[in-house]
Amino acid sequence: MNRSRGEEEAPRQNGSAGRKKGEQQHSEDDEAVHHFDPADDMQDDDNDPSRRREIRSKYRDLISSVQQNREDMLNPTNNKLTEVLEEANKLFKDVRQAREAALDAQLLVVASDLGKEKASQMFSEGASFDPSAFAEHVLSFMGLNRLEVEEEEQQNGETAEGYLPPDAWHRLASRAQLCFRTAPSFHYMMGSFYAEPPPPKQRTERQRKAPTKEAQRIMPTQLKKMEESHQEATEKEVERILGYLKSYYQDDPTSDISYYEFVIDPKSFSRTVENIFHTSFLIRDGLARLYLDADKLPCIVPLEGEENEAGGSAACNQCIISISPKTWRELIDAFEITDTMIQPPNAPTE
Amino acid sequence: MAQRKRLSGAQTSSQAKRPSGSQAAPEDEDDQTFTLPSSSQVLRGMESLAPGQLEQKTAEVVQYFLVKDQKKFAIRRADIVKHVLKEQRNIYPEVMRRAAATFQQVFGLKLVEIEQKNHLYILINSLEPSAAAPPSSSTNPKTGLLFVVLGLIFMKGGVARENVVWSTLKKLRIDPREKHEEFGDVRKLLTEEFVRQRYLEYIRIPHTDPVEFEFGWGQRAEYEVSKPRILSFMGELHQQDPQTWSQQYREAHSSSSSTPSPSPSQR
Repeated sequence: MNRSRGEEEAPRQNGSAGRKKGEQQHSEDDEAVHHFDPADDMQDDDNDPSRRREIRSKYRDLISSVQQNREDMLNPTNNKLTEVLEEANKLFKDVRQAREAALDAQLLVVASDLGKEKASQMFSEGASFDPSAFAEHVLSFMGLNRLEVEEEEQQNGETAEGYLPPDAWHRLASRAQLCFRTAPSFHYMMGSFYAEPPPPKQRTERQRKAPTKEAQRIMPTQLKKMEESHQEATEKEVERILGYLKSYYQDDPTSDISYYEFVIDPKSFSRTVENIFHTSFLIRDGLARLYLDADKLPCIVPLEGEENEAGGSAACNQCIISISPKTWRELIDAFEITDTMIQPPNAPTE
Repeated sequence: MAQRKRLSGAQTSSQAKRPSGSQAAPEDEDDQTFTLPSSSQVLRGMESLAPGQLEQKTAEVVQYFLVKDQKKFAIRRADIVKHVLKEQRNIYPEVMRRAAATFQQVFGLKLVEIEQKNHLYILINSLEPSAAAPPSSSTNPKTGLLFVVLGLIFMKGGVARENVVWSTLKKLRIDPREKHEEFGDVRKLLTEEFVRQRYLEYIRIPHTDPVEFEFGWGQRAEYEVSKPRILSFMGELHQQDPQTWSQQYREAHSSSSSTPSPSPSQR
């Protein structure tokens, strides 16, 4: 803070410096003016423009070298700052005019800034705190895997060494928060109120409305149709199969209808699976019943009216039928199935 | 006395309306209120209040603080007066006193005035964090970043040049020029958000060409962050006795005792 005040005043003080008040007014002007400057007890040398220019240029060089080699100068192992100050002292011997004095002051500001930095370095040196060592320790704490070098390097170029897990910062935060007495922030439990407005939602809705208006008019009918046809397909198929079952039963009510003979299509495994699937609806809805015959083979029979109700309350068994192409073929062989009892639906219709 | 009766009567009615704030105030609150009249103006203001209005305003201020604190920006007195108290601004000190008591007794939070000049307030936890306590539901990764920056500043003796901070963060895979997957725009986070939240100060170093900045601890950090704990975590990280940083150790243990005890504003 002191420095700042110092610098603003420095050029003025140094410039006038008590001895050359008269020059102050002209110092910013062209060199030529000085020839007419009455208030001087200077030697000729002092008025030599090239000499003045040389001094100023030396000062500027010095200042820029300090600014550019800042890190170097901060290094405690060399004496560059002292060298610069000595150099400046030498130059100052020839300083006669305000402009040079101002440059001298500017150099002083730069040098004292360096001095401050050096002093703060001394502070941390006493306690030896090295930011890069600190960073390394933090990385270790965050769970850096230093072995996974190559992969990361390919992605990130030079800087990355090792793999940093994605929860690295969370890991650090969960330990670091013990240093914080942060008030837990308040949130509504049910989220009825959010401080942030939800603008994106509204925007997308508005945008969507305009173009889809026409499409929406057509869409519902289309969609309905598809859904209906799909559901109906299953329902129709179930009913169709029930029709087959009933007709086979009516053909000969006394003989058992073998379940496997009924559902298996010897020409198509997928048709077989479909038949099993649809037949299961008949069982579930109590329209048909499965039972084992004398040979412990599953048989199927359609149920009618009262029977169906009685059965519904009594039997709540569930069973899972699994079938693979292999067992399917074995069953075809075992039951000597040559033709399907349930005709594929599209064959007659299409 | 008549006043007290009126107010305590009013309290029950306001309780029904707004349970969040006034429920908190215990019964003897009213007694304290009237044994400590802060100024005649406040008294006059209180007299002119409709029954229950003081509790009502207190509850509103409490709620205002809770919602405002979500973003962790400091809360300005001017905003409280403007948005909550409005024409009842003359009872401000009393409302704040009560709000502070509510925060302390109900929420375990301390209402702290971090800047006398602009009357800025923050809330901090009056309970010490402890490892034994159940971890809060969500740890904010920004706390980790804050620790790195505040710790660095502290270990550097109170200020850290911007380039030191960035070069340290760079080693931690944070490049201010790139969007970080956890923190987004880190430069903005450090120099704007953390500054507005008063965790950091971002100060231009005078007479530097090109312009340079340095980071320091913000007012919130001074109240909210424990230097001894930072130092002991440092020791843990470096596997080093914190006392070996003698300068910092002295600083941490002198300032922690002298940290201005957060007093609810009297004016």
